[in-house]
Amino acid sequence: METQPKPAPEPDEISLPYWEAAQRGQLMVQKCASCGRGQFPPEPICRHCQAADPPFVEMSGTGTIYTFAVYGRSFSPAFEVPYALALVTLDEDPGVRLMTNIVDSDLDQLAVGDPVKVTYEQRGEWSLPQFRVAGGVAR
Amino acid sequence: MTHLSKQVALVGVGYSDLSRGDAPDPRRLTLQSCLAAISDAGIAAHEIDGIFEYLHGATESPRTSWVQRALGIENLNAYANIYADGPSGLGPPMTAVTAVASGACDVALTYRTLPQREGSTGAIGAAPAVLNGPDQFTGVYGHAPGILANYALKKRRRMHEFGTTAEEYGQIALSARRWSALNERAVQRQPLTMEDYLSSRSIVDPLLLLDCDYPVNGSCAVVVTTEERAADLRGRPVFVDAVAWGTGTGADFVFADDLLYGGSIACSRRLWQCSDFTVDDLDVAGLYDGFTHLPIAWIEALGVCTFGEFGQWVDDGRSIGPGGVLPLNTSGGMLAEGRIQGIGLLAEVVQQLRHECGERQVGGARVGVVAGGGSNDCGAMIVHAG
Repeated sequence: METQPKPAPEPDEISLPYWEAAQRGQLMVQKCASCGRGQFPPEPICRHCQAADPPFVEMSGTGTIYTFAVYGRSFSPAFEVPYALALVTLDEDPGVRLMTNIVDSDLDQLAVGDPVKVTYEQRGEWSLPQFRVAGGVAR
Repeated sequence: MTHLSKQVALVGVGYSDLSRGDAPDPRRLTLQSCLAAISDAGIAAHEIDGIFEYLHGATESPRTSWVQRALGIENLNAYANIYADGPSGLGPPMTAVTAVASGACDVALTYRTLPQREGSTGAIGAAPAVLNGPDQFTGVYGHAPGILANYALKKRRRMHEFGTTAEEYGQIALSARRWSALNERAVQRQPLTMEDYLSSRSIVDPLLLLDCDYPVNGSCAVVVTTEERAADLRGRPVFVDAVAWGTGTGADFVFADDLLYGGSIACSRRLWQCSDFTVDDLDVAGLYDGFTHLPIAWIEALGVCTFGEFGQWVDDGRSIGPGGVLPLNTSGGMLAEGRIQGIGLLAEVVQQLRHECGERQVGGARVGVVAGGGSNDCGAMIVHAG
């Protein structure tokens, strides 16, 4: 099958700071200035206390695999199988989960609870946060 | 005593033919199920003054106004096409219950029509160049078809958190076939072994083919009216004791705070607050089984067993099968009778409470629970034979 380019994100007014940060190699998620709680995806309001426009705060980029799934059959010409799709929690705020692929890691050895570290993948003009198993063997 | 302002009854159920491999027009399917339900209720079509349906695509089902026109109904006092957010095919009857209870309408026709092809992932489409909206945080990672990945993610997390085994998931799939063997309407009636289940094709690991429901061409309809009106009808009404919706906090299919149970816990809590019955009164259950994960979550959320204990409670399938403590999805459900998305589970429970289920009849069934969805889209009802 002919491979197509993987889709690029199209930021909107609310998500733009997240994608601009990723372009700079920073993982930034919203952390409310009023109640201190984090959230993802970005929203125009804190979903915990309704304070307007929660500021984007840089995260260390380390986290933990909350759960993952492995695509073994292709549903899209852009995504070569096998690939892993995961939800990861961030170390600074385990209440915040991001969706990601698990890249540069041995998919046969993946486990819930594995520590992961952010990395970035170019998609069109944007840079996409991705996670790899921390200390994992690259292949 | 009920929490509804008027007592509400379910007085008619109807199915279209259920099939696979052909492509019947959804309008014909809808008329088949609706006319069957109207006939079952013993009412005339012109008495209907409310119509409710659910759809998640654009064309899989005719709209309420088309049904009104086709049935020659003069006017509708209440109606809604419930789109996407809502407890799937259980949404229309639940909404109709509230409309009838409030007095907005007196006789409501509710249906869900779903062709086999709807939501098909068999074809590999071209990849979009850019993704916006919610997809900028999911689809960019190949989260497509997302629904399959979501249930793979939930299954993996549950297995990690509670030690639930693949075999315990398989009990839901096996039980569906035990029941469908007793249901002539069911489309998938082949007996299933645990080996069959475990060796079924991997869809998105750890989700297996036999964790997923069975797409069919079909429609199912339920007629809802007041207890007062029901008393004049020839059939045996089934009464609505409680209805409850639920979403859970941070409601979202992917990023919800509670990935495993979604809104099912909040929904169940509300349901029991509103109900005259308790979990110990349940004789039969119709719990949404679009994926095997869902009835497991509902069984625990409803308090049939405690959280994480489904594996022990299910007792190698005995608890949910014929003769079990809580016969589950006795038509074979969406996994085996066919995917009509929830309203079929309600129609089956109604028939169980009317003692019309022949070989698969649950002896003495008097109280039933039906639940739809299981993520940010939960709804449930307690119904009883009076």
